[in-house]
Amino acid sequence: MANHDINLTVRTGTVHALMGENGAGKSTLMKILYGMQRPDEGTIAINGEQCEFHTPGDAIARGIGMVHQHFMLADNLTVLENVVLGGEKLHGIGARAKAKIKEISDQYGLGVRPDALVEDLGVADRQRVEILKVLYRGAKILILDEPTAVLVPQEVDALFDNLRELKSEGVTVIFISHKLHEVLAVADAISVIRRGTTVGDADPKAVTARQLAEMMVGAELPSPENRESTVTTTEMLRVEDLRIAKTDAEGIERVVLDDISLRIHKGEILGIAGVEGNGQAELVEAIMGMLPLDGGTVTLDGKDLSGTLTRARREAGIGYIPEDRHKHGLLLEAPLWENRILGHVTEEPNSSGPLLKPAAAREDTLRIVRDYDVRTPGIEVTAASLSGGNQQKLIIGREMSHQPKLLIAAHPTRGVDVGAQAQIWEHIRSAQREGLAVLLISADLDELIGLSDTIRVIYRGRLVADADPATVTAEDLGTAMTGAAAGHLESDPEAVAEAQAVAAEGTEAADQHPHTDTADKPQAGE
Amino acid sequence: MTSPNPAAKRSFAQRISGERIVLALAAPVLAVVLSVAICSVLLATSGKNPFDAWNVMITYATKSDGQVLILNRATTYYLAAAAAAFGFRMNLFNIGVEGQYKVAALFAAFVGAQVDLPAFIQIPLLLVTAMLIGGLYASIAGLLKVYRGVSEVISTIMLNAISVSIVGLLLVPGVFAPKASSTSNSIQTDPVSDSSHFFSIPTAGGDLWGFLFIAVLVGVLFQFTLTRTRFGFDLRATGRSESAATASGVNVKKMVVISMVVSGAIAGLIGLPELLQNSYSYGQSFQPGLGFLGISIALLGRNSPIGMAFAALLFSFLDSTGSQLPLKGGFPFEIVAVMQGTIVICVVVAYELVRRYGLKRQQQKVGAQLAAQAAATEKKEVSA
Amino acid sequence: MRRSMKLAAVVLSGSLGMASLAACGAKSTDTNASSGSSSDALKVGMAYDIGGRGDQSFNDSAARGLDKAKADLGVNVTEAEAKTGEAEADKETRLKNLIDGGYKTIVAVGFVYQQAVDKVAKDNPNVKFAIIDSNDKDQPSNVTSLLFAEQEGSYLAGVAAANKSKAHHIGFIGGVQSELIKKFEAGYKAGAKSVDPNIQIETTYLTTPPDFSGFNSPDKGKEAAQGQLDKGADVIYSAAGSSGNGAIEAVATAGKWAIGVDSDQASQPALAKFKNNILTSMVKNVDNAVYAYIDSVKKNTPFTGIKLFDLKANGVSLATTGGKIDDIQDKLKAASDAITSGATTIPTAPTS
Repeated sequence: MANHDINLTVRTGTVHALMGENGAGKSTLMKILYGMQRPDEGTIAINGEQCEFHTPGDAIARGIGMVHQHFMLADNLTVLENVVLGGEKLHGIGARAKAKIKEISDQYGLGVRPDALVEDLGVADRQRVEILKVLYRGAKILILDEPTAVLVPQEVDALFDNLRELKSEGVTVIFISHKLHEVLAVADAISVIRRGTTVGDADPKAVTARQLAEMMVGAELPSPENRESTVTTTEMLRVEDLRIAKTDAEGIERVVLDDISLRIHKGEILGIAGVEGNGQAELVEAIMGMLPLDGGTVTLDGKDLSGTLTRARREAGIGYIPEDRHKHGLLLEAPLWENRILGHVTEEPNSSGPLLKPAAAREDTLRIVRDYDVRTPGIEVTAASLSGGNQQKLIIGREMSHQPKLLIAAHPTRGVDVGAQAQIWEHIRSAQREGLAVLLISADLDELIGLSDTIRVIYRGRLVADADPATVTAEDLGTAMTGAAAGHLESDPEAVAEAQAVAAEGTEAADQHPHTDTADKPQAGE
Repeated sequence: MTSPNPAAKRSFAQRISGERIVLALAAPVLAVVLSVAICSVLLATSGKNPFDAWNVMITYATKSDGQVLILNRATTYYLAAAAAAFGFRMNLFNIGVEGQYKVAALFAAFVGAQVDLPAFIQIPLLLVTAMLIGGLYASIAGLLKVYRGVSEVISTIMLNAISVSIVGLLLVPGVFAPKASSTSNSIQTDPVSDSSHFFSIPTAGGDLWGFLFIAVLVGVLFQFTLTRTRFGFDLRATGRSESAATASGVNVKKMVVISMVVSGAIAGLIGLPELLQNSYSYGQSFQPGLGFLGISIALLGRNSPIGMAFAALLFSFLDSTGSQLPLKGGFPFEIVAVMQGTIVICVVVAYELVRRYGLKRQQQKVGAQLAAQAAATEKKEVSA
Repeated sequence: MRRSMKLAAVVLSGSLGMASLAACGAKSTDTNASSGSSSDALKVGMAYDIGGRGDQSFNDSAARGLDKAKADLGVNVTEAEAKTGEAEADKETRLKNLIDGGYKTIVAVGFVYQQAVDKVAKDNPNVKFAIIDSNDKDQPSNVTSLLFAEQEGSYLAGVAAANKSKAHHIGFIGGVQSELIKKFEAGYKAGAKSVDPNIQIETTYLTTPPDFSGFNSPDKGKEAAQGQLDKGADVIYSAAGSSGNGAIEAVATAGKWAIGVDSDQASQPALAKFKNNILTSMVKNVDNAVYAYIDSVKKNTPFTGIKLFDLKANGVSLATTGGKIDDIQDKLKAASDAITSGATTIPTAPTS
């Protein structure tokens, strides 16, 4: 289920920001609003009138226009030609259309030249052409999907001026973003989506960036639990002075990871908190050996793995739950038992010597299916036919079957239904009790605080802060995630206790799982 | 509920695989039927009776000499298809089978003419020579892809052109061809030594090439390597999802080079049936185009060793019996080319449709099965 | 179950072929072998190279000979042609099919048939074969090679070119650098040098074997001719099949002289536009050879071994269409006489 219980009210003539982490369900919602996807239930009303969109055409007819993140312009045509393309019937393709474009451009202060070739235009200009294209078709409601992602700060300011102009002319703007400060600068109203549902609205005049961050990543604080610490003193993973720098298209060296040093002991879960795109993915790939290092070492259980290939690292005992299981974790069109072999083809029971042992692999797959409660009619079905949660359980079962010394779990519960989520957490927990070291990456602060023994905060490729989950609040973590705090985080003990109490009230089963059902919980911001 | 009862599971598996076979056959059968229909219409509009044409072809295929011809030709076709398919299985488009087999056959012919060892050494020597040369030639494209990021499609197409020049450069009197040719106007290598001649089975319809067994062996090894070895698993995993394979620890670069070399080595065998069983020398008119034909056959056979066997037989049937058309009834033999073309086009479309349908259908089935399971469990719980 | 299915399929596919091989041993030739010799007329089968009848060149010339034999000698004929990229077995099958049809005299056009002819002739000693442009010193006795002295005709073309060149600079374009075309080059150069020892000669081959596209790429011919014109050549001889059409076009556009090949190209409709610039053509009388061969079989005195059609036997000649070489006719006559008398011997391979 991508989205459920989404409630959103946008007033005419406002800029309404829609916020959420990547994967929270913003894009799905937008697709529904723009008629690219149909909802299973629920209604959309415009000016109080209920309507149904079967195609984007329907949405356009209702005055909804969409400006995509990736521009849809033909480079070798002029602005005029791009604008009239597909809308030839509106104002013709000649002088009348040109006059109309000029009129719109002046009305909203867009400054678009109809005869310019699109390939000569910069990114900001192209975006204005996209906006004009939508307005030309009579849109009164404008959806902008992450419009600032491609812009430099000055261009962002100019765009915001345009948006204010549009607003003053009575156009409604829905603005999708996860950049806190931008949203606060331009929005009249804010709605936050998390895990496919609206978790609350906020008034930009009253809310702070930190509060917004909490809403986005989940501010409910489950108790870090009065469980016994399983952390031992045996060091399992040691990462020293890791550095990766990429050279981008313009030849400028961009440092992706710098000066990363961390240690994980047996039985310890180290959580990495951070806004997406700050180097988490690269850190994982560096430890897995998928990205070459520019500096530093990776040592597992006393063995230096720095120069080794991914397979050697896996054989050395690293289990991997990838962030994107479809891309990195599964062969979607292969049967389950082949997916069970994936990543462990050199290990028992999958092979002996250079030969595969399909029978043994099948048998072991049956065991995983049984032990990890993978809901499937059999092991000959393709991985693609399973639900996300069951796919993830299969991956976890597979990775756990080889007695890993270290488990890298990147967003292990993303896109997984609530029931499976709890099971996944429990699997990680029980492995931890048996001495597994875990590197947990998550955008979900609940999960991080609930599972981790230690939390490190990553910001722009550096580990800038650390915290004990027992003594930190999501607010303070959020601050560190935006780069505003560094060093050891220690929240006000009263605030921690308060947050824990609130969380404990809503989570009865908290001693077993961080939480079992998000729907029961008090929603922040409401 | 964690372990569904074995009987239910089994029947489900049976249904799935029964349906799979039907689905797997649906596409090629559909394609063949469609192309027969299209060609019939073409023949009819050109004023020829299509049934007479099919009759000529089928009649020839029931005769023993026709059958020998079909099997001999299919041997070559199968090797060509296997060479292409090996790369395809990991999404590596070795379009260069064409060039690889030409160069390999030329070198094998040269070695075969220069060396005269007992057959049990000579023939393996020639097989190894051809595979080595084919593999080496293909490795150029693999290395270029790995170290320079050159698409193997581009580089192998270029290498095909280069192979023509290599043959042109080497197949001249005094280099690979004898200084004084026994024939005028055409140049070929000296005939290979008698010990190089591969065995054949005399039948009523002529000599059946013993190389058929090599082709079968290649098919068996192909299947075994892919399904029963770690290497094969890595190869298939890379073909299905390169990103997942990388994350799983497959060294994709190494796989690219190895697969390219293996594909080229199989390609090296393509020219040998003709060389060691029929013409015994490599001449300027050595059959070209087998590499591209192999791609079509691999496509039709879905890169599976069994599928390709049927596809090779089908194409061989069409080519062999098609040559009867102009002489027996004045039908244009181009109709065979049209048919092969339409089969390939139809089959590509049909496979994609069937694949999507199958995937969707399986998802639905799994959903239904799970829902039924859940309902059953609930009922049990209620009654308990 | 899955595996056994596959296994079954293998066995099935294997046994299908084998079983029927053993079961119905009937050959496709069994039924109609008797129907072959019912007619008294001589039955001649012709197997063309790629392009077949209608290629405006070599095959067409052979077809003319066949047509003439049909008309004048009353023989019964049938034809078949090769397709691109066919296997050796296809050529053999084609010849066998002709034999099965009762055609006991078979003309194979082009050296690509050499191996197939050798093989099929060995198996059918009572069938008479002729192969054009090729011979094999080991070929069976029932095979006759019809060869042409291309170098002699080309020598005359060289004499004409050297006489007509004002710049003392001529060109040669070969379609494919094969042994056959090298004979053209050798004769042409020798002829030109016999007139003007210091003449400058450009030589371009369009492709090298096994790439035979040089025989049917007018664009390549045009480009090569343009290159030679730019270097200053003013008479260009192209022995390049239909690629020569491109060369002739380029030469005619530049207002220089072109020399055609194989057929009298000045009289070909396709080249009518350029006929004023076609000096002459080195005609290879394949039709004469084919006719002469069929005639010899008909008369029961078939040619055997190698039959060379040289200048003396009118196998090669220079075309006089348009009268553009009338003024040097005596010089050509002298050169021609020197060849036929044996006073001049012409190399068959280029010296340089």
